[in-house]
Amino acid sequence: MRVIVVTSGKGGVGKTTTSAAFASGLAMRGFKTAVIDFDVGLRNLDLIMGCERRVVYDIINVINDEAKLTQALIKDKHCESENLYVLPASQTRDKNALTESGVEFVLSELEHMGFDYAVCDSPAGIEHGAVMALTFADEAIITTNPEVSSVRDSDRILGILQSKSRRALNGSEPVKEHLLLTRYSPKRVEEGEMITYKDVQELLRIPLLGVIPESESVLQASNQGIPTIHLKGSDVAEAYTDMVARFLGEKLPLRFVTYEKPGFIKRLLGGK
Amino acid sequence: MSRSAPVRSIEFHPFNLSALRVVLDRADPAGLADELHKMLGGRPDRFSGEAAILDFSALETLPARIDWNGLTSLLRRYCLQPVGVYAVDEEHAAAARNKASLALFEHLDATPVSAPAPRASATTVSPFSLAAPDSASPPQADLPFEPSAAAPLVAGASVAPTLYIDRPVRSGQQVYAHGGDLVLLAGVSPGAEVIADGNIHCFGPLLGRALAGARGNAQARVISTHFSPELVSIAGVYRTFEQGVPEAFAARAVVVRMKSANGSGQTISIDPLQLD
Ligand SMILES: Nc1ncnc2c1ncn2[C@@H]1O[C@H](COP(=O)(O)OP(=O)(O)OP(=O)(O)O)[C@@H](O)[C@H]1O
Ligand SMILES: [Mg+2]
Repeated sequence: MRVIVVTSGKGGVGKTTTSAAFASGLAMRGFKTAVIDFDVGLRNLDLIMGCERRVVYDIINVINDEAKLTQALIKDKHCESENLYVLPASQTRDKNALTESGVEFVLSELEHMGFDYAVCDSPAGIEHGAVMALTFADEAIITTNPEVSSVRDSDRILGILQSKSRRALNGSEPVKEHLLLTRYSPKRVEEGEMITYKDVQELLRIPLLGVIPESESVLQASNQGIPTIHLKGSDVAEAYTDMVARFLGEKLPLRFVTYEKPGFIKRLLGGK
Repeated sequence: MSRSAPVRSIEFHPFNLSALRVVLDRADPAGLADELHKMLGGRPDRFSGEAAILDFSALETLPARIDWNGLTSLLRRYCLQPVGVYAVDEEHAAAARNKASLALFEHLDATPVSAPAPRASATTVSPFSLAAPDSASPPQADLPFEPSAAAPLVAGASVAPTLYIDRPVRSGQQVYAHGGDLVLLAGVSPGAEVIADGNIHCFGPLLGRALAGARGNAQARVISTHFSPELVSIAGVYRTFEQGVPEAFAARAVVVRMKSANGSGQTISIDPLQLD
């Protein structure tokens, strides 16, 4: 089983949106996947996955031996493949209930159950929860918005990955790092309000896994509790599908990174 | 135990102290706190408990009163252990002894302290410089000060092995090559700090803070293929770039070294390197 952390340092950049879409994408490709919410206290992965009304037990219950992992895992209803499970976080517990040995236990149980991937949705910041989410990671998706503060925080979290992950501490092969740009608006980049994906990549010096465009459909999807990758035909869904394919080793050109000025006809018809 | 126990329960042996000489250009703890913060990026773990001698020889006149408690607690905060003072009059020496248990050092057999730093260029010249007395310095520190000497020595090469860092040094990380050179093969991000007692060689973008000759080796250099740091320092003389790195060498290959400006203190020079 591969453990993948979706992390950023900075808050609100799209980690949870990405965790939901990426885990769904892996499941759609046939991999048995679990997506785990590490945001103890805020808990919104279950909302984005549209399973909040089915939450009975959470990861802390499992760690405290109050529930079995199989009881706490919620089967996703959006993937026809029926191989995606959500492990929610608790809204009420103390963050410190998320212990290192507890997380290790949960991950080893998932491995025994035959999961191919565990996707860890990290909370923002560099505190306990974020460290727990990345401790056992084999790979990391560094979710970054095209702005200076986000790039800086991503750099910071890369440093923490290098110093606090299990792989770093026991000197094995380092965590594989991937850059994912989210909320990318080619128009605002063109206008100089945001930095280009090339600049971000140059600043962070890690391979680019994809660029997810800024889109209103993300908000709609999360309000409906549907992971964005299921929004057939939308730019965001296609960008996440591409990203999953690249993660699995396919070579695909980047899309949705250039701004096309609205043409004459479109302007006549009142398009944006 | 293989060592024979002393005959008496207390014995006194002469001992040569190895300590850092903290050369001060001002004596007010508040002002120094600010300078130290700028210089060391607020990192409390910069030193590791070395004994420190407060050297006032660079001050033209000593203030009437010195806040000894303030000075010692400031240095302790950065993990230095003040043990003595140098170049103060009797009255100050008595106060230092009574208030902060600091011994008076009559003479330090080290390279002479540089002339006072010019007040006008306070942003480029540190009121601190950290110089190691004889016993702690590599032999070449005894050479007459001449940065562009015909046969420059690789400082630290015989003292400690070079530290190689293959991955980018990220924001919030610190790397310190104790005693020797530091070779960085994947750049330094903004907010990261790289320190060497010898030289720093940086391949890839140098965007963070780089401090060479951290224990006072004024011959140390910073060599960078892509120079855009937040701060560079040679032997405690530093330069910041709040207004951005000047066009002439921004993002270019440069060498940074100490320059003696005869009699008017030390500054550092940054010169482009011709690579092709
Ligand atoms: N590609 C996108 N286009 C437009 N809005 C987006 C996009 N991705 C995320 N958002 C919006 O940004 C907000 C934050 O997203 P999300 O919750 O996924 O971020 P997060 O990094 O998990 O935040 P936190 O740090 O609070 O956990 C949400 O309102 C979401 O709808
Ligand atoms: Mg989140």
